[in-house]
Order: sequence, then structure tokens, then C-alpha cells
Amino acid sequence: MIDPVFRNSLRECLFLLLLWLACCLYTVTYCYLGGYLVHEPHPDATGPSIGKLVGPLTAFDRHPQSLTTPLGLGVPDWVFYGVITPWVAAVVITILFCLYFFAEDDLSPPGLERDEPGTSHD
Amino acid sequence: MTETSPATIITFIAYIACVFVLAALSHRLLATKSFLGEYFLGSRGLGSWALAFTFAATAASGGSFTGFPSLIYSYGWVLAFWIASYMVAGVCSMGVLGKRLNQVARKTGAITIPDVLRDRYDSTALGLFATSTIIFFTVCNLIAQFKAGALIIEETFNLPADWGYSAGLIIFAVTVIFYTAYGGFRAVVWTDVLQGVVMVLGITLLLPVIIRQGGGMESINRKLRERPPTLITSVAGGYNDLVIQARGPLDTAGLLYRHPRRANAPLQIRWDPAVGTENRFIEVFLATDGEGRTSSTGNDVKQAIEQHPMLGPRFRVSFPYDNSEIVTDRFGHRTEMGATGVIGLDSDRSAERFVFLRGDEVLFGPGRSNRGSPFHPLGMAISFFFMWAITGMGQPGTMLRLMAFKDSRTLKRAILTVTGFYSMVYLPLVFIFVAARVLIPELNAENSDKAMVLVTTRVVGDMGLAYQILGAVLVAAPFAAVMSTVDSFLLMISSGLVRDIYQRTINPRVSDRTVKRASYATTVIVGMVVTLLATRPPDFLQRIIVFTGSGFAATFLCPVMLGLYWKGMTRQGALSAMVGGFTVMVGFFLPTLFGGSRIDLLGLHPNLWGLMVSFGLGFLVSKGTGPAPTHLVERYFYKVSTPQQSLSTEDRGQSKVDGSA
Repeated sequence: MIDPVFRNSLRECLFLLLLWLACCLYTVTYCYLGGYLVHEPHPDATGPSIGKLVGPLTAFDRHPQSLTTPLGLGVPDWVFYGVITPWVAAVVITILFCLYFFAEDDLSPPGLERDEPGTSHD
Repeated sequence: MTETSPATIITFIAYIACVFVLAALSHRLLATKSFLGEYFLGSRGLGSWALAFTFAATAASGGSFTGFPSLIYSYGWVLAFWIASYMVAGVCSMGVLGKRLNQVARKTGAITIPDVLRDRYDSTALGLFATSTIIFFTVCNLIAQFKAGALIIEETFNLPADWGYSAGLIIFAVTVIFYTAYGGFRAVVWTDVLQGVVMVLGITLLLPVIIRQGGGMESINRKLRERPPTLITSVAGGYNDLVIQARGPLDTAGLLYRHPRRANAPLQIRWDPAVGTENRFIEVFLATDGEGRTSSTGNDVKQAIEQHPMLGPRFRVSFPYDNSEIVTDRFGHRTEMGATGVIGLDSDRSAERFVFLRGDEVLFGPGRSNRGSPFHPLGMAISFFFMWAITGMGQPGTMLRLMAFKDSRTLKRAILTVTGFYSMVYLPLVFIFVAARVLIPELNAENSDKAMVLVTTRVVGDMGLAYQILGAVLVAAPFAAVMSTVDSFLLMISSGLVRDIYQRTINPRVSDRTVKRASYATTVIVGMVVTLLATRPPDFLQRIIVFTGSGFAATFLCPVMLGLYWKGMTRQGALSAMVGGFTVMVGFFLPTLFGGSRIDLLGLHPNLWGLMVSFGLGFLVSKGTGPAPTHLVERYFYKVSTPQQSLSTEDRGQSKVDGSA
């Protein structure tokens, strides 16, 4: 029989790696495209554009005067939407993960109430 | 240099006294428990608060309170992006491995990470390689951390330059070695809790004070944006830094110090308005003495620019230091700091280049250094999302804590606490040190490492006794962060030597009394050796910390993670992953030993390459050498349900200790 701790841990591990990937993709894309004054030319670019969907990276260069601070918090818009918003979302997901997804498995080896590390040779 | 208030001294002494009391209490508890498991793993009984704070405090090294504030001060809001993966670092670094690692460690009775690897793959060689790697990276890291601890004491107590570092080192070493050796793991955990509380409390109290002093974040951003283009030169030699600000629209790119390459040359300024703005530099040909050494001081250059007919009206020149402290320059002349230090160029370099930075550059990415290089390009942005959340999983120091908690519920609560801790520390630090750039406007690149101390002494220290105490608590925060990392690493080395090498490889039948003496002695001796090595520390402190953190992850994450979650992982695959990751990291960082830069292949941090090579080799070699032995797969991936079988688990633990496994 598959160890239930292994099965549950693997499920939780995959969930968390997906959460990390989603945060990574969103934050890196949003902050890089929306928060940089200067964008380096893409190393694979052969012309002015790196693809039909994205266009030339220089098109995303920010003009300093375009900066806004949402909700009057004094946080630059790209930090607010690119870092703080997903950060709050990640904290909420973490709370939901712990409350509803995380299994409270019994970690003690079967038949042992509690193992004392190193006791077999103390 | 900064003044030390009595409140700072009293708070520091009270803090160190608390640490000693905790060590004494822990030592008393040690006498009532099984020694080895208690000394190195706290009897696997950590509660959620203890687990959360020891995990977070161990992860937050001195860099969190010295290097990170310095970077925020220098580059601004882009550091929020740099640190962004901390949004999931807590839940990932604890949740991905925590429960499963704890379960496997309980099954085998493992008390160290090499223990886990040796048992999971049934390989002594793997265990010994793991121990050797831990010792290598940990000693490197400890030298850097000891240096950081000594520097914090030297700076905080304003100790004289000629013996201040040595005194700081001795105070730091005696404190940390004593409480670690005497109290063991539990003392380390308890002090971590204390240190974690100090960190959160300090940051939480400082945030509103600093924002109010700056007039609110909107006002702070506006002041940053309106700041005229500024250039700060910081050339080796000391006390020669210059601040050059444009009086109107900027019509030049920066400043170049040049060596005229001849003796007895006068100081000359060259500036050509015909050259395009982007390539136009103020060229300063430094004066030289009869032996060809540069002899111009910061003051000479200031006067030359001010007297230049075209540059004088365009630029304002000053020194970054606003005090009038008397110092001695390298020729023995007593002078005011920031006035007459000689500008010296490296012998292998004929020019030093600095660029003007506009105020609004700290409101956006990618950030530029005063040498003009981008701080956080795309490759680094991707790498750093791996760095904190993924690399954080692969640290033996934090993995060890995942073997020490009591039950699943404890882990769950600790994940929530650590997530809150990271959110309450790292994001507020960005706000505080963006504001610090307005409150203390002209720190150069080297001095920005002192941003935390200066904020607490200059900004907060002037606001009355209550704020002086807050300042003292904040000065203690980086000290606490360094101590919490050092104590864990000291124990990790001594557990590697005593448990992994001596007990499990050389003399499995060693008595408990000998183990106890060896554990105390090893911790003290390792601490003393590191102290000696730190008396002549390397300069590149932050690079060592990054190197060792990345090296740990590249070496350990793959064999531990795939060993826990993939039945097909073989010992050959694990060994290849460890050797491959280790080799890539050492190879990519090797040029830094000779004054060069690390290798950032395709713009990505070596950490990412180390992880890719390690996981790639682990997977491919395991596929080629598989399948994994059936008895190991059954033991670690299938449930053992009968009491008889569970007894045999204990028996296997005994035979393993006897060296027969």
C-alpha cells in the first residue's frame, strides 16, 4: 500500500510548485514589461520585434512622468500591481492551502508512539 | 562614524544576557534527555512558534539587515521585485519538503541531512560526500558571517579602527560559541525565537516612524523624482568621495578619473561640449608625484570643476559626509573627512568611470550602479525568483529544522507564521530604505552598507529616549540575524564531524559520554578555527554568502527532493546530482577568487545553472542505472503497517548505527 504521507506530500508539493510558477510568471512578466525604464534588446531578436504578440521590447520602456501610485499609498504602480497585489494573493492562497489542502498526517513510524532521535545508540 | 547612545549599549548588553540565560536553561534540559538527539535536533519536539522563528531567523542572515538595506538604498523600488519570491518562499521552502522529510528522518532515526541521504540511498559514500560538502560551504559562510558580526559591533560601538574589528570579533565569537556549544540545538532555537521577535518588532516600529519623517510615501517618491541628476564617486583610498549634482538640465553622461601615465603631471579637466550627451564625460586627469603616483585629492578636483568656466555654472560639487570628523590621510595629514583623501586608481587600471543617476531611476527598474551597469536585468529577475523560494528549500540548515518539528499540525501553523514573518520584514524594509534615501541623501556605494545603522542612529536616535531604545533594538536586529545563522552552522559542522564521520563511519560503538564530550569540544574548536580565519577575512563578504547558499542548493536540493518523491532515484543518480551541482557552482564562482566576476551564462545566475545540471544529472543517471533497489522503495514509499514491521524499522536503525547496513 502506498504510504499516505508520501501520497499527500507529493500532492501538496506539486500544488506549491505550481503556485510558485504562477507567481514567477506573473510577477516577472508584469514587473519587467511594466516597470523598467530601459529594456535590453532580446538576444534572439533579428529585427525590431521579438514576436508578433510582444513587439519590440523598447515599446515597453517607461516614461518617468507616466508613474502613478494606486490608492494613494505612495507605491509605484508597477510595484503595486506586480509585487504587492500577487503577494497579498499568495498569502491568501497560503492560508487556504493550510486550512483546506494540507493534510495533517501522522508522521511517527507505525507502532511507535514517539521516536527519540539517536536513542538507539545513546 | 556614528555616536553610540547609552540606550544602545544597555539594549545590547541586555540582549546578550538574554541569550546566555536561554543557553543555561537549554543546558539544564539537555541533562534530562537523550544527549545526541537533543543536542543536535531538540528531540524532534519543536512547536510551531519555535519552528517558525528558528526557520525564518536562520534563513535571514546578516545580509537581510546590512546588504539588503544597502541595495534598496542604492537602487530603490526595483528591490521589491528582487525580493518578490518571498511571497511564496515560506510556504514553498517549508511545505514542499517539510512533512515528507520529517517522516523519512523519523523512520531512520536520522538527525542530520547526511544521515538522511546515507539511509535513503543506502550509501556510506554519499553520506561522507554530503558531510564534506556541508563542512566546505559552511566554513566559507561562517568566515563571512563572523566578519559581519565583528563589523556590526565595531560600527555600533564606534570602536577605533586599529583594534575595533579584532575586539568586535572576539566579543562576537565568545558569545556565539559559548551559547551554541553549551546549550546545543534547543538554545539555538530559543535564541532564534528571541532574534526573530527582535527583527519583526524593530521593523514594525520603525516603518511608521520613517515614513512620517519623510512626509509620507507620496512625498518621498516626489522628492526622489525631483532630485537633480547626481553622481557620487567612490574611489579606493578613502575620504575622497565627491557628490556632483547638475544645477539644471543634464548635458553630460558622467565623470572619468584618468591616470596621465607620466610623473609630475598637473591636474587637468577636459570637457568637450561638441561630443553627444550620451558619450560626453568630464575627464579628470589626476596630478601625479615624482614617482608617477596620483596625488590629487577630492578637494583638488572639487576646486578644479568649480573653477572651470563651463563646468562651474553647470554643477554643484560637495562631499557626502556632513560631519567634520578629523581623520588622517595616507600621508599622515590631519584633515576633515571628505576633503583631501588622495584619489588612487588601481595599478592595473588607467581610468575609473562614474555616471549621473536621475532621481526617477530609483522609482523604476532595472536600477543602475554609479558605474552605469544595470542592477536587475531580465536574466537576474528570473534567477532571483528561483533564488529565494527554490534555493531556500535546498539549505541543509533549514532542512534540518524540518526534521525537528513535532507533528503535521505544527508544520501547518509554522508555514502560516513564516509567511507572515517574511511579509512583515521584507516588504517594509523596502519602504523604509526607499525613504532613507530621502532622509540620508548622499551615501556612497561603500557606505550604503551602513544604511541600517545610520537610519537608527541619525534619524531615529534624535527623537528622544523611547526612539533611542527602538534604534538600539534595530541595531541589534542585524546582529541577531548574523548570530541566528552562525549558531545553526556551527552545530551543523559539529554534527557532521561527530555524528556522520566519527560515530557512523569510524567508531559506531562509541559511548554516550564520549559523544557528549566530542560534541562540546568540536563546537568550540570549530568556532575557534573560524574565529582565527576571520581575523584576516576576505573582502567579498556578500559574494561568499551568495556562493555558499547557491552551492548548498545546487548540491543538496536534487538528491533530497527526488529521493523523497521519486521511487526511481538511485544512489548513482544522487551522487551525480551532488557532484554535478557542486562542480558547476564552484566553477562559475571560481573567477571571483582571482578578482574577476562570476560567470553568468546567458545572463542567468550560476545558481540556476547549478540546479539545472544537478536535476538533469540526477534524472538521467537514475534512468540509466535504475531501477532503484526494491527494499529501499518498499521502505520509503510504502506503508509498514504491523507492529512487528515497525520493530524491524528500529532494528534496522540499530544495525545502521552498528555499521552493518
